[in-house]
Amino acid sequence: MTTENTILIVDDEGIVLESCRRVLEADGFKTMLASSAEKALEMMAHRLPLALLMDIKMPRHDGIYLMGQIRERWREIPVIVMTGYPTSETIAEAAQMGATTLISKPFTPDELVETVRRVLKKEIRPVFSSEG
Amino acid sequence: MDLKMRKIFYSTRSKLIISIMGSSFLVGVVSLFVGSQILYKSVLSEANIRVSSDLNAAREAYQGRIKLVKVSLNITTIGSGFVSALKQRDTLELQQRVGRLSREVGLDFAGIVTDKGNVLCRIGPDPVPDERPRPANPIAELAIKQRVPIAGTVVLSEAFLSSENPALAALARGSFSPASHAEPTNEGEESSGMALAAAIPVFEQSEVIGVLYGGILLNRSESIVDGVRDTVFLNERYKGRAFGAMSIFLNDLRISTNTVARDGKRAIGTRVSKEVKDRVLRDGGTWTQRAFVVNDWYLTAYEPITDIHGNKAGILGLGILEEKYLDIRRKALSFFVLITAAGTVLAFGLGSLLAGRIMDPVHRLIQASRQVSEGNYNPEIGPISRGEIGGLQKTFNDMVAALGQKRVESEHQLLHSVKQASVGRLAAGVAHEINNPLTGVLTYTHMLLRRKDLNDEVRSDLETIAKATERVRKIVKGLLDFSRQTSLHREPAEINRLVKSAVSLMENQALVKGIRIKCEPGQDIPMLTVDWSQMQGVLLNIILNALDATQPGGEIKISTNSFSSATGMNHKGVEIAITDTGSGIQPDNLEKVFEPFFTTKEVGKGTGLGLAISLGIVQRHGGTIRVQSKVGEGSAFCIWLPVEDDDD
Repeated sequence: MTTENTILIVDDEGIVLESCRRVLEADGFKTMLASSAEKALEMMAHRLPLALLMDIKMPRHDGIYLMGQIRERWREIPVIVMTGYPTSETIAEAAQMGATTLISKPFTPDELVETVRRVLKKEIRPVFSSEG
Repeated sequence: MDLKMRKIFYSTRSKLIISIMGSSFLVGVVSLFVGSQILYKSVLSEANIRVSSDLNAAREAYQGRIKLVKVSLNITTIGSGFVSALKQRDTLELQQRVGRLSREVGLDFAGIVTDKGNVLCRIGPDPVPDERPRPANPIAELAIKQRVPIAGTVVLSEAFLSSENPALAALARGSFSPASHAEPTNEGEESSGMALAAAIPVFEQSEVIGVLYGGILLNRSESIVDGVRDTVFLNERYKGRAFGAMSIFLNDLRISTNTVARDGKRAIGTRVSKEVKDRVLRDGGTWTQRAFVVNDWYLTAYEPITDIHGNKAGILGLGILEEKYLDIRRKALSFFVLITAAGTVLAFGLGSLLAGRIMDPVHRLIQASRQVSEGNYNPEIGPISRGEIGGLQKTFNDMVAALGQKRVESEHQLLHSVKQASVGRLAAGVAHEINNPLTGVLTYTHMLLRRKDLNDEVRSDLETIAKATERVRKIVKGLLDFSRQTSLHREPAEINRLVKSAVSLMENQALVKGIRIKCEPGQDIPMLTVDWSQMQGVLLNIILNALDATQPGGEIKISTNSFSSATGMNHKGVEIAITDTGSGIQPDNLEKVFEPFFTTKEVGKGTGLGLAISLGIVQRHGGTIRVQSKVGEGSAFCIWLPVEDDDD
């Protein structure tokens, strides 16, 4: 079921979704876009991506909820958490739920691609860094 | 609270008053007992001395009277014509001479007897008695027997008295009333008489040719006792009674006295108490003691009267009213009581005054403390007293002033933190909202820059956008650093090493600017657990600011000190002071330097977040940053960090 090279991007902000899509597709990845946690879960039921890039702060069900749902079903899938406001509490919670790594908004295209590649190559940095 | 304070105040006040009053009262009572006792004893001994000396005076008067009788009889015997009249047994002549003598001297009985004891003549109703046997004349018989003049006290039988003059016998028989303390009498004893008498033998060629005798009957006699009363006691009266009294006793029977019985008459016929009788008549001693005489207690003195035969025939007694001395004691006692009472009242007044002087300032201090606790840092404590209380008042004023100062400072600090916290929350929210669109701007700009078909002008513009966006990103990141609770990775660190590392990082930059940078590490600086990189960032930030403010040739000094917190609590810690000789900070700006976005640097050179972030980091370490500055002289930033871990 796993689709090669497909990254699922989850964010309630259209501009973030679109930006990430442009960057990743320019780098040869395929993308799926979801504007909410529910839509993401629905999509994943049909097609399982290679990795997830998701915002942590979303209306209704947030990234933490989504993390919980994903880890219940797919333990191995890498999850990159995006946050514009990395507090120690949210970082710790995300790490506990099983996030692979974290990237602070805003980021440059190079930073994003580098992070995704490393995650896929399993060169995973510790999630607890607060250096952003 | 007010009531309780009042209670304490009043109880201290009353304790003071009571202790002063109590000591005064105690001293008063002790002096009352001791003083009155000493006074009474000395008065009593004085009285005893007086009674003894008065007795001496009385005896002198008694003896004097005897001498008078003897001398006057003697003169009569050597008078011209007396011896020849006696030789010729000129009864008429002798009778005239004896009569004149007895009138002049006041003799009760007088006469002349022959060497055989026959009466030649005498005064009285039977001047020339016949030859029938006469009752014995003890004094004349002694003079004949011893052939010398005899004078002294003599006890006379009733027979002799009635032969001399029946009136005398009647006097001696005088009635007696039983007084308390007197022994029952022997019948008939009281019918004898006692007299002062003398007998002078007259010689013709060493043959006794006659004896002149004469005497004064003491029974019911008033002249001796009243004479003593008038000369010794000066007829002194006490509460309507004679102060002093004298008595002459035949045996223990009072025969002559001016002691007054209850009926107002002289207490003739009463008896001396048994103790006195035993002591004086039986043992021959003197008695000086208080004694119950007739109806009153007297301080008395008694001594025996010895008659011409050497027998203890009677007692000479003297007494002064004890009541006078009791009254002296009573007066002294009441005087002492009065003094004690007055002293206690005075002590109360003095105590109240003193307690007031001590307690009023204390009370004011208590009220002032209450005012301070209610928030008034300028309480009225009244005039400053002298001494310790004054010291307390001054210290209190200093303390309140310091407290007020601290309060203003801490209120200021609190306001500042509240402001900072709300600014922080606002900044965080803004930053978060900005980050999403900023992601788009950054991404699209960089994507555009990747294109190869851009002309130079567009590429240059895009690069400007990218740079500007980077700056926005930095500002937002700074805002977030400032606002978020970045967790501290604390580990034990030597503060001097931390300071040195920050200084060495800045040394090159200072050298380039021509500014000396000096490190003065303190001694015995305790280890602290700090987030090394964040604290280093704080130091670098402040040193950077100092470099910006200081002109070439200036100096920056970083020193460390073991230092207790200035905010009270006596918390141990370390102070890092960064002092520069720069331009200083305007007084108006001193309070704003820690506010986010406050900067005096040129636009684009500073974010205005450096000090705000630094303060946040130091505060999360439980510390504080103080700043002092004088425009044109320089500034000092003092970072204080506590020794023990505070909660983040």
